[in-house]
Amino acid sequence: MIAVLGIGWLTPEGYGCIRSELQHTYEAGEGAHTLPAKDIFSHPFKNFGRLDRISRMTAFGVSLALQDAGIEYSPLQKQDMGIVGTNREGSLQSDREYFRDYLAGGRTLSRGNLFIYTLPSSPLGEAAIHFGLLGPVLYVASEENALAAVLDTAGEMLLANEATVMLAGKAEADEAIFFVLENDPGKDRSTLCDLATAKALLEKNTPVSGLAQKFMGLTTKRG
Amino acid sequence: MKPVIVMADMLTPYGKGTEACWQGLLAGKSAISRVDRFKTAAFHSDHAGIVSGLAYHRGVSLVMQMLQILFEGALFPKDAKLLLATTKGEIDLLEQSMLEKQGDGTEAIVTRLVKKVAGLAGVNDEGLVLSAACTSSAAAAAQAAAMIRNRHADCVLVVASDSVTEFIYSGFSSLMALDREPARPFDKHRAGLNVGEAAAYALLMSEERAVRENRAVLGTLAGWGLSDDANHMTGPSRESEGLILAIRKALTSADARSEEVGFIAAHGTGTLYNDQMEMRAFRMVFQNSERPVYSIKGGIGHTMGAAGLVETLIALRALGERIVPPTVNLSEPDDDARRWVSSRQQAPGPGAFALVTNAGFSGVNTALVLER
Repeated sequence: MIAVLGIGWLTPEGYGCIRSELQHTYEAGEGAHTLPAKDIFSHPFKNFGRLDRISRMTAFGVSLALQDAGIEYSPLQKQDMGIVGTNREGSLQSDREYFRDYLAGGRTLSRGNLFIYTLPSSPLGEAAIHFGLLGPVLYVASEENALAAVLDTAGEMLLANEATVMLAGKAEADEAIFFVLENDPGKDRSTLCDLATAKALLEKNTPVSGLAQKFMGLTTKRG
Repeated sequence: MKPVIVMADMLTPYGKGTEACWQGLLAGKSAISRVDRFKTAAFHSDHAGIVSGLAYHRGVSLVMQMLQILFEGALFPKDAKLLLATTKGEIDLLEQSMLEKQGDGTEAIVTRLVKKVAGLAGVNDEGLVLSAACTSSAAAAAQAAAMIRNRHADCVLVVASDSVTEFIYSGFSSLMALDREPARPFDKHRAGLNVGEAAAYALLMSEERAVRENRAVLGTLAGWGLSDDANHMTGPSRESEGLILAIRKALTSADARSEEVGFIAAHGTGTLYNDQMEMRAFRMVFQNSERPVYSIKGGIGHTMGAAGLVETLIALRALGERIVPPTVNLSEPDDDARRWVSSRQQAPGPGAFALVTNAGFSGVNTALVLER
């Protein structure tokens, strides 16, 4: 059975972890853009300021999810974990920024540091580097229920032994949610629910705030 | 359930059909040409692998034009699940929108493309887009195989395409990744890659369904492995540990031993670092036991998200013909590749399996193990 070990989330109003019931609401003027990286990451994030917004939200979401699952990480001690992610528009914002900059430069020079974020998988790649993820890194998109598709994809990878643990989720410019999944976790692992239960709560286009409420309901039921 | 490939085709700079690409490679001819689609004077190269006859910035994207040509006459099962692999999809629509200052470019979002592809292929599934840089289509093939092996699907259509556009060309130029001449993978004097464009598809089925439908089997996707270096966004790990991990996973997944691999279809981009990284991985996994290695990127360029699938289909052909194609444009193998790569056709080693490797930005790696 594939189990959910933890969930981390961010919305325009705050951030939190489901299983550990952490919830932080922003004060006026605060938001993901003002979050100090040192408060979220347990290790310094190299070049965090260089990341685009989706990459930052991905990194925050992954950090909170790992924390919720009780999984420690270090960029130097890489682990058999992979990541699958989605969002609505892929890299469209970064594509526009790159090409606008290129056009403004007279169509002669372009900037490599903008070009690298024009792949929809780049935010997941940045997360893989910081969190030391040695497993699959894959972007998945669907006009249907993309978050459910991401969890299914991660589930297939776990069943095929492509990684011991998979992170799966979505990150937009203003919200993110990531799940930590493991196939047949040992009895010493505390879990939130199974994958089927989690998927049943994922309705298309539900904002992360709504999803967080639904999953917090699971912890209440568990007592 | 065993995932088998029952139907496949490709459109490459050699023309339509796997046969055209195969014959071009066997002849040692390169289909890389000078770009006339956009101005290249400011870039580090003016070469690319271009599919002839496509119209640029004329309303229909290059990818859709290629898929229309590719799918002509192909009949797919309506119940096939659809996986579309691409890195930049219809990015030329965004270019056109920004150059003409019309619209917001949202027509370039990949989920719109997959709906069009589902309609063109005539399948009922809405489809998923899978993207993992230049390993996209190899990762999609692996995912299709996983769905079949895990009994969550018995028929999956994997479609892959990427195109040569000013957006992509300028980006690779900014990274100083382009060779001024046709790319020379594994050559001592290699100087970078050429971008290329292609479209390809493979229909994967469970062996049971293929037998039930009396389908001819082109080959089996016997095993796969996906990994990440977790090291650098644009450069491969100098220790090759990510690709080594992917290959070992793939061999385990295929229940194959390294000595059973008869030849290797390498990513072989022609950049100094990629080719070095791959050869180091091959030497480690195969314990310096030489076997034929080749790259097709001197022939068609680096077709990005389509590369893995195109290379898989050529490797299947090589398995069937028992011929390892030459590495086009190779004149003097680099020291680490000597006695592994050749500018001539080679006979495969004694093993029954072929290994296909790919790597990409953010350190992603894939390895597929094929069996005829």
